[in-house]
Amino acid sequence: MAEDTVRLLPSDDGSWRLEDYLRRGGYGAARKALTSMTPKDVIAEVRKAGIRGRGGAGFPAGMKWAFVPPDVSGPKYLCVNADEGEPGTFKDRLILVRAPHQLLEGVIIASFAVGVRTAFVYVRGEYERLALRLEEAVAEARAAGYLGPRLFGTEFGLDVVVHHGAGAYICGEETALLESLEGRRGQPRVKPPFPATVGLFRSPTVVNNVETIANIPQILARGADWFLGRGLPKDSGTRLFGVSGAVRRPGVYELPMGTPLRTIIEVHAGGPPDGKRIKAVIPGGLSAPILKAEEIDVAMDFDSLAHIGSMLGSAGIVVIPDGTPMLDVLHVTARFYAHESCGKCTPCRIGTSWILKTIERLRREGGGPADFDLILRLADGIKARTLCPLGDAAALPILALVSKFRGELEQAVAR
Amino acid sequence: MSETKRVTLAIDGLKVEAAEGTNVIQAAEQAGIAIPHFCYHPALEIEGNCRMCLVEIQGLPKLELACSTVVREGMVVRTASDRVREARKDVLEFLLAEHPLDCPICDKAGECRLQDYYDLHGLSASRMVEPREHRDKLAPIGRGLVLDRERCVLCTRCVRFLRRVTGTGELGVFERGLRSEVGIQEGSPVDNNYSGNLVDICPVGAITSVDFRFKTRAWFLKRKPSVCPHCSRGCAVTVESVEGYPLRRSEKRVYRVTARENPAVNGFWICDVGRDGRHDIDDGRHAAVSEKGALVQGPSWESALAGVAAAMRSVPGPERAGKIAVVLNSRLTCEELALAKGLFVTGLGLGKIFFADRKSGPPDSLLLTSDRMPNAKGVLDAGFTARLPGLGELAGVEVLLVFGPYLLEHFGEADLARALSGVPSKYLFAAHTGPLDRLVDAVFPVAHPAEKTGTYVNIEGIRQSFARAVRPCPGVATEGAILTCLANSLGLSLGAADAR
Repeated sequence: MAEDTVRLLPSDDGSWRLEDYLRRGGYGAARKALTSMTPKDVIAEVRKAGIRGRGGAGFPAGMKWAFVPPDVSGPKYLCVNADEGEPGTFKDRLILVRAPHQLLEGVIIASFAVGVRTAFVYVRGEYERLALRLEEAVAEARAAGYLGPRLFGTEFGLDVVVHHGAGAYICGEETALLESLEGRRGQPRVKPPFPATVGLFRSPTVVNNVETIANIPQILARGADWFLGRGLPKDSGTRLFGVSGAVRRPGVYELPMGTPLRTIIEVHAGGPPDGKRIKAVIPGGLSAPILKAEEIDVAMDFDSLAHIGSMLGSAGIVVIPDGTPMLDVLHVTARFYAHESCGKCTPCRIGTSWILKTIERLRREGGGPADFDLILRLADGIKARTLCPLGDAAALPILALVSKFRGELEQAVAR
Repeated sequence: MSETKRVTLAIDGLKVEAAEGTNVIQAAEQAGIAIPHFCYHPALEIEGNCRMCLVEIQGLPKLELACSTVVREGMVVRTASDRVREARKDVLEFLLAEHPLDCPICDKAGECRLQDYYDLHGLSASRMVEPREHRDKLAPIGRGLVLDRERCVLCTRCVRFLRRVTGTGELGVFERGLRSEVGIQEGSPVDNNYSGNLVDICPVGAITSVDFRFKTRAWFLKRKPSVCPHCSRGCAVTVESVEGYPLRRSEKRVYRVTARENPAVNGFWICDVGRDGRHDIDDGRHAAVSEKGALVQGPSWESALAGVAAAMRSVPGPERAGKIAVVLNSRLTCEELALAKGLFVTGLGLGKIFFADRKSGPPDSLLLTSDRMPNAKGVLDAGFTARLPGLGELAGVEVLLVFGPYLLEHFGEADLARALSGVPSKYLFAAHTGPLDRLVDAVFPVAHPAEKTGTYVNIEGIRQSFARAVRPCPGVATEGAILTCLANSLGLSLGAADAR
């Protein structure tokens, strides 16, 4: 198989400006879409490409666009989710660093397809400098006529607003993001109604991840078949895999969907440093249930990971070396979710804190099997019972950690 | 209006028909199945935060919220399956894990959803051994309301009520996660005429009223429906009183007035003016007939009334029209107004029939009307014209019967005293003590509307009948009884007088 050398992103941080992007053929896909295709054609092409959402849930992007009612009288919105808060995830960051115009081009195409006149990019509060860079890119695009009224000589006009978040994990959840964007407390809404029908300012809204949108120009430029050829039939394209932890070359790797986890860790990221061995791997951001070392011969795509009880999530791979106490891993995991629970719904608000309090007691005073039974029961009481996916995101890793490393954990707290 | 479409669904094996757009909680309620919930309130937007109403819906993998799930044709709902029971138990365990369990000193005890649901769905020992969060238990949030943050379950009913119903938005949720707390924006406490509803809608003992705190227990209260007499809206209220153990003199009977649901009039709410009306029922009441400012020991109001009848009889028939005057008011029930009509107009042929009512006040945009009397429409319906007397019109009057204390809202005390000094016999029929008492020969204690059975016609023309909610003290008579008694003494039959 001849390796496809096309890459989503340039290999350096310095060529993000408009002139560099134009030199790479930038905004050609947007021109093509707006001047030679109908919105329907664009949606059809993206649906055909089968791209699944890169934010974590893996929902097919084209289908999400198609859910927006085409003929509503009021405005429709696109919100790009750049609130990259999942621990172990740093891929969207790279897109914002290296190719902000590629994101904007994707925004233009998606907005044209859905009928959006104002699009928002919600950038994580901690990404302040990236948000400023994106604002600069928006200004460049506006000055050059890639944003504003009558793009490419068509009737279609678009403006993009860059919004700075304030650092809450929950605002990565799409409805909490919308609340925050509207100026309210960032807390999730009850679904249904889904954002596609009632979203930002009560209008139909598409919320897409940065990486998803950044892939759109390529799909339009090279066609759905090309995209389908780059991944798996049911999970197409390449993915930005972020690898961190005990590897020689941590970083972001763009690889086809379905690349084996072991290959990513051992070949691309260079495997664990000398003298270290893999103890466990978190395959898709902290919310993805942990894998034991013997479980990492798995293809990195949504279905394969779901099949073994974990998830691809944000594709942020965290490699945990031997010698790491799993009680520490359990503790930081529990602490993160207790800290980031927005507090809106009962099981998450109280359950995550109760789990954390229990673990802190175990560290302080020791304990026994009954304490881990309790932690499992509490996590079960959160799982599938909460208002938003943060409940599952908190409960599933705890359940996996305790059930897979129970012996070690019990030993660690025995007095 | 077009007929609402109805859908058929099954809830716990029962076939239920519900209007399209109904949620599962409401549909179940129609079928007599209660689905527990804290945050859901039919008048507020769906929040879905308490997670107590999770039910099983056939075909869906997860438990779904009964509050936000709208009924569909053929839907199969299970509200009592093991999965549902377990979910409820878990939610209760979570809530109780961070609850102070101070029921013995909590005013909500006995009418608390957390208690009730624990009884029905929980009944498990807590596995919480970690220390609970300590929070402010006595946060004044305005208008005599106290917030206990340890008891709060963060259902946000209060927050949503103030945003959506009053539009004043004084309360919000601050902080995040377990630190989340309801609070007021700095320096802007709850300040609107509907604040008392926050106590009614709080499902637990988090928001309590200083007026009610630590005064009695919910289970001692006898709850009777009535209609609020404090403006022409006529809101549905529940009068909650304690009877059954001896009350000392001047001890209160009515501990609170709460909102009662009436979609046609007030929805779910009442205003603070009406709620504070509980004081009106107990405070400053006349308990016995007084003459010239002194309580009359011995004779009952019936025997004292013989004196009034005698004074009226002393005016020769043809002269009555100009020499007997009556001042009525719009707090009288339709039935009483009919009796008054039969006695004073038909029976005695009086010409000087006036009305003195409470002065109108500023209305608010929700329920409170400017007319602060409950039955102005009923007065019109009875064929009266509610006309205030001019003080000159009292000249030459020999017998004056005044119902209600409101003359002094319209005339200065000195002016009124001067006008009344020329009237040889004058009687006041009033529920409350007041300065007018000094200006008359005798005061007869009359019942408060909450102590009456009758009918009011509200500002929109809606006739509302109500029954006695509180037993009046001995020695207190309704105006209806007084009018009947007077008619009997005067040998007049009021049999034809029909309130309708």
